[in-house]
Amino acid sequence: MSHSTEIDSKHAWDGGQSPLGVSYGKMMMWFFLISDALTFGGLLMSYGFIRHKYSDVWPKAENVFTHFPGVEQHLPLAYVGLMTFILIMSSVTMVLAVEAGHRNDKKKVILWMFWTIVGGAMFVGSQAWEWYHFIVGTDTGALRHVWSQELHTYVEETVYGANMTVNEYGVPQFANYFFFITGFHGFHVFSGVVINFIIFLNVLKGTYEKRGHYEMVEKVGLYWHFVDLVWVFVFTFFYLL
Amino acid sequence: MSEFHDEYPSYEHLAHHSEEDGKKIRRTLWNVFWVMLAITIFELVIGSMAPGHGWSGTLWIKVLFIGLTILKAGFIVMAFMHLGHEVKFMKYVVLMPYIIFMAYAIFIILDEGVYSGHSINRTRVDPLLIQQQEQLRSGHGHHDAAAAHGEEHHEEAHH
Repeated sequence: MSHSTEIDSKHAWDGGQSPLGVSYGKMMMWFFLISDALTFGGLLMSYGFIRHKYSDVWPKAENVFTHFPGVEQHLPLAYVGLMTFILIMSSVTMVLAVEAGHRNDKKKVILWMFWTIVGGAMFVGSQAWEWYHFIVGTDTGALRHVWSQELHTYVEETVYGANMTVNEYGVPQFANYFFFITGFHGFHVFSGVVINFIIFLNVLKGTYEKRGHYEMVEKVGLYWHFVDLVWVFVFTFFYLL
Repeated sequence: MSEFHDEYPSYEHLAHHSEEDGKKIRRTLWNVFWVMLAITIFELVIGSMAPGHGWSGTLWIKVLFIGLTILKAGFIVMAFMHLGHEVKFMKYVVLMPYIIFMAYAIFIILDEGVYSGHSINRTRVDPLLIQQQEQLRSGHGHHDAAAAHGEEHHEEAHH
């Protein structure tokens, strides 16, 4: 049995080893992530298309997301900066758990996976807070033309906050894409927290200690980093550009 | 020890490393974290300064943000997801399909998406915003753009 990680590219496809040098489970996780990344790529491209089409009436994120918990003044982008920091941080704790797994250090795996779950839960909570403020809107609201079913025409109305049909801050399309893409990403974070928790319980039970390797932690780690990766793009396209 | 009954190496165990290697790996990971944090703070500072300086929406700021995003994505994929240390074939299998598909999709949306600028496709936008916009463009007070859009919708509703 070969114990070398080095794969000679000349003989890689001759059999007796994986030309990709990884186990089946890890490879399949990567394939799943490629397909998921294509989904997010499609969503973000669609967003970019509509945004470009309505670029002159598209709201600016720094005018929409100005709230920060416990602060009266408007702090544009501060809260989303904090959310980004939490998610990058939880990605670091995840990779430290994977590293500890490679040394069969059960205690460290437990510690770092615990902080990863805490970070993920904080991120989901922050997103709920962000959504809440976007849906409720400002005290003053804004005058918008709203489609009236009875009159079959648009009537002027004061709109507070955003939903799928009206948006205080500008075109409803902004709200539609915001809810769909951050919602889809938020659902990924939520499922990531759930999966992390299941693996965490298995680590506590000693399942992987018995197995002799912590590859499940590595696989769930790949998924978790992917969630962070998607957020990096969502953050840029929704909040910065 | 492999749980499979073939001669394949056990890749699950090959990933193991020693205490000393672990120290080095951890140092690299923390360095990557500090670099990514610095990039994010830089982006936020530029992002919050942009409106005051009239940088919002300029080409160079878009290129800068997208470039920094791809840089951060590279750090995550190569260091955190460990792809940088995988076998060459594995890197190509993961990256090539995605890069080729996305490059094609971006090309096609830029090349074939031009029709959408036509005004007929804009009727579903908030007419108040369109009205304001057209007033700004024409430079005089009352323009019946909103009324025209309203009528269009009126007709659509009856069809």
